[in-house]
Amino acid sequence: MVFNSYSFVLFFVLLLTLHNLPFSWKTKKINLLIASYLFYALWNPPFILLLWLSTIVDFYMAKLISVTEEKNRRKLWLAVSLVLNLGMLSYFKYGGFLLENFTILMNSLGVAFQAAKPDIILPVGISFYTFVTLSYTIDVYRRKFEPESSILDFALFVTYFPHLVAGPIVRPEDLIPQFKQPRKASSEQMIWGLFLLTLGLFLKVVIADGWLAEASDLIFSLPFPVNPLDAWSAVLAFSGQIFCDFSGYSTCAIGVSLCLGFKLPENFQYPYASIGFSDFWRRWHITLSTWLRDYLYIPLGGNRVGRFQTYINLMITMLLGGLWHGASWNFVIWGGLHGIFLCVEKIVKVWSQKRRKPAMAEELVLQATIIPIRSKNASNFLLALLTFFLVNITWVFFRAPNFDSAILILLCMFGVITQGPKMLSTPDMFKIGIVTMGLIFSHWNMRNRSVKGLFQSLPWWFSGTIWAFMLILIILTQKSTGSFIYFQF
Amino acid sequence: MGQCQKKVYDTSPAGPVLVGTSRTKFDIDLETWESITGKAPVQLGIVGTNPRPILSDLANDPDFKGTVLVDVMEMLFFMPDGSFAESSAKKRLDYYPRWSLSQQAGFHIGRKLEDHLLFLDEERFSLNSMLKRLPIKSRPGVFVFPNFPMDLEYASPNGQLAFTNRFLQDTSAQHEIQGVWTKLGLLSTKQGTGGDTLTNIINSVARSVNQIKARGGRVIFVRFPSSDPVWAAEQKAYPRKLYWDRLLKETGVTGIHFADYPELSRYQCPEWSHLAPADARTFTKDLTRIIEAKTNWPLQNVLSQNNF
Repeated sequence: MVFNSYSFVLFFVLLLTLHNLPFSWKTKKINLLIASYLFYALWNPPFILLLWLSTIVDFYMAKLISVTEEKNRRKLWLAVSLVLNLGMLSYFKYGGFLLENFTILMNSLGVAFQAAKPDIILPVGISFYTFVTLSYTIDVYRRKFEPESSILDFALFVTYFPHLVAGPIVRPEDLIPQFKQPRKASSEQMIWGLFLLTLGLFLKVVIADGWLAEASDLIFSLPFPVNPLDAWSAVLAFSGQIFCDFSGYSTCAIGVSLCLGFKLPENFQYPYASIGFSDFWRRWHITLSTWLRDYLYIPLGGNRVGRFQTYINLMITMLLGGLWHGASWNFVIWGGLHGIFLCVEKIVKVWSQKRRKPAMAEELVLQATIIPIRSKNASNFLLALLTFFLVNITWVFFRAPNFDSAILILLCMFGVITQGPKMLSTPDMFKIGIVTMGLIFSHWNMRNRSVKGLFQSLPWWFSGTIWAFMLILIILTQKSTGSFIYFQF
Repeated sequence: MGQCQKKVYDTSPAGPVLVGTSRTKFDIDLETWESITGKAPVQLGIVGTNPRPILSDLANDPDFKGTVLVDVMEMLFFMPDGSFAESSAKKRLDYYPRWSLSQQAGFHIGRKLEDHLLFLDEERFSLNSMLKRLPIKSRPGVFVFPNFPMDLEYASPNGQLAFTNRFLQDTSAQHEIQGVWTKLGLLSTKQGTGGDTLTNIINSVARSVNQIKARGGRVIFVRFPSSDPVWAAEQKAYPRKLYWDRLLKETGVTGIHFADYPELSRYQCPEWSHLAPADARTFTKDLTRIIEAKTNWPLQNVLSQNNF
C-alpha cells in the first residue's frame, strides 16, 4: 500500500479511529501489528511469511545469545540470524544477479554454461526490514541491551508499517521503548504529523512524480544520444526526483507515525547543501549511512587502523552500500564513486591540515587587511555547489538502466557528443530549473535549521496558507502514480 | 482492467471484446449495441495506441475463446514494434499482472467515489496540463504533444467516449482539433510502414488470429469512418490494396470497411476522424446488421430472443 492511494486514506482513517478508542494498550498494539501486516500483505500476501520467519528467528536467536555465556555458541546463534537474514536478502535480491555474472564468468573462461533465468520476485522492503532485524541481534550480541521480552513489541518493532517498506531504518532503541507505555498523539503531534504527511505527499506527488519523473524517464530511456542541455536537465531532474521521492516517503512515514503518537528518526537533513561527501552522508539517507557506519565500517576497523586501511574500509562500505540499493553493477559504480570522493576528501583534508600550519602567519596578514579577501560563507556555498555537481555525476549511474546508457549520458553532458536531438520542451526545462534552484536555495538556507522550527517562527495564517497551497497542488497533480523509487531496493 | 479481464472470457459475437484506438471508443455506441444484441461489448480500446499487443495478449491467453472486434486504423495498427503507440499499449498490459491487492482495492474505492463525487479531468485541469497550456514557446526542434480543446469529450465508466454538445457546436474547437491531427501526422500522405516490417506485422497478426480461432474464438476487422482531409491522406499513405486488402487476405479474417457500405460511409466526422454521438448510434446499428449478414454470426438471433 502506498501513502498516495485511496486504500491508504481508508486504512489510515480506520487505524487512527481504532487507535483513539478506549481499548487497552495491548489491544491497540495488536491492532497496529495486524494493520502493519495488512499494509504489507496488500502488495503480495505470501511474502508476509518471510517477515514472520525473520521476526520469530531473530526474537529467539537474540534470547539464546543473551542467555548463553559460551563464546562459540553465542557466535553460532548470531550466525543463524545473519545467515537467515542475509540469505533471504541474497536469494531474493541478488540471486539473478549472481547467476548472470557467474554465467558471464564461465563463458569468458570458455566454459559453455547457460543458466535458466530465475523468476524471482523481490519482496517489497526486504532490504529495509532485514537491516532492522540484523541491528537488533547484533546489538544483543554486543550486549548493548537485553533482548526484548515481549514478542508483540518485537514483532511490532520489525513490522510497524510506517517504516516497514522504505525506512527510516529504525534501531531497537528508537522504537521498542515507545511501545512500553500507552501512547496517543497530542493535538500538537497530530497537527504536525498531518502537516508532515502533506509535505511528504507534496514532495512525492507534485514535485517528484508531477514535475520531474517524465523528463528523467524519457531521456534515460532513450537508446540514442541527446543534446547536452537535455542530458544535464535529465540528470538534474532525477536528482530532484530521487530526493523528493525518497525524502517524501520518509516525511510521510514520520508524519503518519506521529499521528499515532510514535516518533521515527529523521532520514534527511538538506543533503543538497552538503559541503563535501562526508557531510552529504550525514544528511542523505541518514539511517542507512549510520547503519553502515555502525555495523560495517566500524567493525572493519573504521579510521583507527591506519590511513590506507581507512580508505579501504571506506571503499568496502560504499561499494556494499551501493550494492544494497540494487543488484546491478551500476549501483556498485555509484557506491564506488561515492567511496572515491570520500577518500579524496579525506586526503585533501589531511593535506590542507598539514599545509595550514606554515601558512598561519600568512593567514594572519590576510585577516588583518581591511578588505575581506573571501567570505567563509561564499566559499562554503561554492563547495556545496561542487558537491552537488559531483553528486549529480554519480546519479547518472544510479538512474541509467545499464552501464552503456550511463556512459552515453555522461558523454552528452560533457559535450563529447553534441549532435543529439533536443528532446525536452521549454516548460519541462523551466520546471527542472525551478525545482533545482528551489532545492539548492532551500537546502542552503535550511542547513542548520529544522522545518518545525521554521514553521513555528511563521505566523499561523502564513503556515496555514502554505499548507493549503500544498494540498491544492496535490489535488491538482494526483494521478495513479507509481510506487516510491526506494520500494524496489 | 481486472474486471475486463474476467469479462473477456464471456465474450461472443453478440458481445465481443473491442480492441483498438479512440475510433472504437467514439464510433461504437455500447448502449445501442447492447440494445440490439442484448449483450454489451467489452471495451478495451485505448486512445492513441496500437491494438496488436492487446490482440496478441488475448491470443496467448489459453482461457480466451471469445470474439474480438479489431479496429484497423492503419496509421496506428501498422506501427512497428517498439513505436510509441505499440509500447504505450504494452505498458498497460504489463501493469495488470503486477496489480497489487492494494491497487485493486484503490481501484474499487475510486470507482465508488467517482459515482458520488466530482473528479478532476486530468487531461485538462491537472497542474501539468494547465502549465502546458501556458503560452510558452518551446525550443525549436522539440516535438511538443499538442493540446486538445478543453471541452472536447466525456467518458463513461464503461469506456464510451462521446463528443460534448459544446464541441459539436463550436467550429473553432473543431478547427483546433483538426490542427492537432495535422501536427500528429494524420494528414501526412507519406507512405506508411512497408517491406519486411509490414510483413512481420501481418504475420504476427495472423499468428494471433490463428491462435484465437484454434480455440474456437472469432475475430473480425473493422475500418471505422474518417472524412475530409484525414480520409484523403489515409488513402494515400495506406493504399487499401497494400494494407487493408493484404491484411484480410493473409490473416483470413472477415473485414468490414466503412467505404464499402453506403450506410457506413454517409457520415461527416466533426473533426475528420471520429463520429458524433448521434451518428455513432446509427453507425452501430448498421454495423451489427452488416456483421451478421457478412459472417452469419448469431447477433440477430440474440436480438430475436430478446425481442420475443
